[in-house]
Amino acid sequence: MFRARPMLKVELLCLASEAQEVALLLARHGSFGPAGTAGRETGRRLGEGYRELYLEAAARLDKILEYCGDNELAPIPDDAVAPNERELAAINAQLSEIWQACSVCYERELRVAEEKQRLAMLRETYARLSVLAVDPTRLLRRDGLLDTRVGQIPATNLKRLADALSVAGYLIKEFDRAGDQAFVVVAGPRRADGEGRHRLGGLLTQAGWRDLPIPPELRTDPSVAARYIEDEEHRLEAQVAVHCELRQRNWRQFADWLRQGRVALALARPLAEASELGLSGKGRLAVFTGWVPRSALAGLRAALEARFHGRCVVQARAPEAGERVPSLLTYPAWLRPFTGLVRGYGVPRYGEFDPTLPVTLGYLLLFGAMFGDVGHGTVLAAGGMLLHGRLAGLRWVVVAAGLASAGFGLVYGSVFGYEDWITPLWQSPLHDPARLLELAVLFGVAFIAATLLINLYNRLAAGRPADALLGGGGLAGLLLYLALLAGLWGLAEGGGFGVLPALFAAVAWAAMTAWIGLESAGTSGERLVVALVEGLETVIGLFANTLSFLRVAAFGLNHVALALAVFAIADGMGSVGHGVTLALGNVVIIVLEGAIVAIQALRLMYYEGFSRFFAGDGIEFRPLQLVTSDK
Amino acid sequence: MDVYLDTRVSLFKSRLWPAAEVADLIDAADDALPARLERRGLGLLARGYADDDPRSLEARIVAILLDDTRVLLRPLAGAARQFMLYWIERFEVSNVKSLIRARMAGDSAAATAARLLDLGDFARLDTEALMRAEDVAELLRRLERTTYAEIVRNARLAFEESQDPFILDATLDRAYYDGLIRRARALDAGLDGLMADLIDRINLVWLLRYRFNYGLPPAQVYYLLLTSGYRLSPSLLRVLVGRDDIAAVLAGLPEALARPLAGAGTIAEIAARLERHAFDRAFKILAGGSQALVRAMAYLILREAGLRDLRGILRGRRLGLPVDDIRLAAGVA
Repeated sequence: MFRARPMLKVELLCLASEAQEVALLLARHGSFGPAGTAGRETGRRLGEGYRELYLEAAARLDKILEYCGDNELAPIPDDAVAPNERELAAINAQLSEIWQACSVCYERELRVAEEKQRLAMLRETYARLSVLAVDPTRLLRRDGLLDTRVGQIPATNLKRLADALSVAGYLIKEFDRAGDQAFVVVAGPRRADGEGRHRLGGLLTQAGWRDLPIPPELRTDPSVAARYIEDEEHRLEAQVAVHCELRQRNWRQFADWLRQGRVALALARPLAEASELGLSGKGRLAVFTGWVPRSALAGLRAALEARFHGRCVVQARAPEAGERVPSLLTYPAWLRPFTGLVRGYGVPRYGEFDPTLPVTLGYLLLFGAMFGDVGHGTVLAAGGMLLHGRLAGLRWVVVAAGLASAGFGLVYGSVFGYEDWITPLWQSPLHDPARLLELAVLFGVAFIAATLLINLYNRLAAGRPADALLGGGGLAGLLLYLALLAGLWGLAEGGGFGVLPALFAAVAWAAMTAWIGLESAGTSGERLVVALVEGLETVIGLFANTLSFLRVAAFGLNHVALALAVFAIADGMGSVGHGVTLALGNVVIIVLEGAIVAIQALRLMYYEGFSRFFAGDGIEFRPLQLVTSDK
Repeated sequence: MDVYLDTRVSLFKSRLWPAAEVADLIDAADDALPARLERRGLGLLARGYADDDPRSLEARIVAILLDDTRVLLRPLAGAARQFMLYWIERFEVSNVKSLIRARMAGDSAAATAARLLDLGDFARLDTEALMRAEDVAELLRRLERTTYAEIVRNARLAFEESQDPFILDATLDRAYYDGLIRRARALDAGLDGLMADLIDRINLVWLLRYRFNYGLPPAQVYYLLLTSGYRLSPSLLRVLVGRDDIAAVLAGLPEALARPLAGAGTIAEIAARLERHAFDRAFKILAGGSQALVRAMAYLILREAGLRDLRGILRGRRLGLPVDDIRLAAGVA
């Protein structure tokens, strides 16, 4: 629970011709995670073409399913075999054809949607055009003196286009705007030789210009425009119907094949995934390289033996120093809902301390302390039980937070803000705020010291003893922190900083800055600056982080103060208003303050805690798996 | 943290190679070159020279620049940080262009991936998904759902009408630099000098290329320029795009721009001279007196220029080009 499970680096040799089947077996077994640049170390890369084909086909399949609607993955028989490269290429080609058919529909649908939007704008524009004292048909006549066009462009391009047109002696006038589109008239002197068109070149296209169709009769009969739009709408509706029909037809035609295609791709996926990281070739042999949990190796060997009868050789060894090993973390069922608190930040490195349990306890403790109320906590816990759908994953976190809140409510003696309903186990925060602030800082000191100790352990576990002892986040940082705290405590008590704290602080500071300087790259001047700035930054960070815990007390006080504010407002109301205000006030406290406290508690865990000992850049162990359902 | 950034930049300054030392590399022996690069903290380039690093020279240069930027970003916050991040987004815009070109050419995903720059944690695009778009239209629509929507939208509209790759590239570039100018002005951090050198150079070179190489009409050229420029004001640009030849354009430039260009006759020469002039000014800014962010930007500009010179030399040597040609390409002739 506090560390990732022990892993072994495995090299699995098999016949290249059986690589697909081996990959499939590894995926069914679910305990082999491909890793390592085997191709470079041991020979040629294998399966790259296969992988490329798989990725292309899978991307196409996703697009098709997204566009045409999902279909269920057919059951995968136990004896199903993965497609070979030639079969996979055929599947990919078929998917390409299907997507070609679908994408034509898709593109047309997009165009139709844009056209419909444009028609809606046109309706208004024509209405305005028809009341202009200008005959647009005369304006656009080819034998006129002006080279005139009517069209629309994105409004953001209007000014730039106006400036550019002026270079060619043209004017532009906006006469309407709908959404982000400006409807404009562009006019310039017409040249007999058509030079006007040449003078503009691709300018209008560049500005996103689209011609505005003007029915010739618009000036004389405004109903023509309405009829034109109506006809266009009918035409578009007909197009939509044709596309829908085409889409349905495509779907009916291809649905069965796609169902089988999905199965074939699911079977092809293990080899494709393995080939990205852990597959190489040696003559006629294929070599799978990856990680297997120590506890699963015997089972995997037995499964390979049963299927391949000695044609697969498995060699395993323990991880070497400095090797990046994936982390396989397992938790008891009751802790699993809380793993998101750590995963939200990152994955622990292999060998590192996994902070899920202390983080869970710390989070609940902080939340309870900041939001302590029996009534509010109970409501929160009950509300948590009702979470479902996408929020179901948060159910037990909310319930536990509610219970922690109720627990601290008993300590503070608070029920929906009333402090005289039950006898507190300790006292209400408002009765002695200074004491509460003091406790919060002490908690912060203990918390930060604990994080530095965890960091010390992590660095030792990572084989970096010097960094563990001399680093700002290790023993030197911890000694400096505690020595400075002891010195400051002595000062506050009137006894002076003290020789011993000063000595410890000086030694720790010297060790820490020297180590930073040694570790950083660059010239000696550069190292000196980095050591001084980063050393200072470390000390400031430690104390700033400690003071951050004052917010625990502040929010505890804030919770009581908010309840008092609700009571004060309610007291000014009549009997009905009083009840309503109390009810609404408590809802606001639970929802709004509850959310703020939840974020603050998480922030304290992440920034004051995690950032000190937890890089979160571990690699999660991802075994090859056979995807047998859509979930 | 201005002091920290300032100090960082001053220390980084030593990473810029004096021109003479860069020129020496052209004549250095093959086996001595990696060691010299290593000594200058360019291990990434040295390893590439020994050819055990599969990444392209360009990708390794970008990796070095990103490493420097990562350090300079540390003390920055707010708009200043956003500005420096946007400066780095040039590389991602370049990836967008590579993706578009690859779709146009119908390249495979693997071939496309090999051409993309690895931006590490600076990357904001899911290139893996984008490179599997079937065609340019699908790619552009996907890009419109990313943070580059603003830059891509106009490009898509224009492309749908014309199917012209030039229009796509020009529109993307212009949209990017418009964004850069907007951000620099909003910052009000004394970046005007650097930005003027950069934007005016880009504007003038674009103007000359579009007008005299591609033969575009003045109105279209004007539309493609960065009209919120610095010394090249919109009214001046309107005049310049109407000129009939390069000499006439140069004659119409303001004194500050015309001076370094006296006697220049080709667009390549003009671009090179403006670049050298801009670098001289960037060196002065870097020497001191300016705000920390401005010095940091000057450093990044000079660092990139220096690395590109190195790239020219390394590539030239690898291709076995005559020494004089390499000198010319590296600007140390």
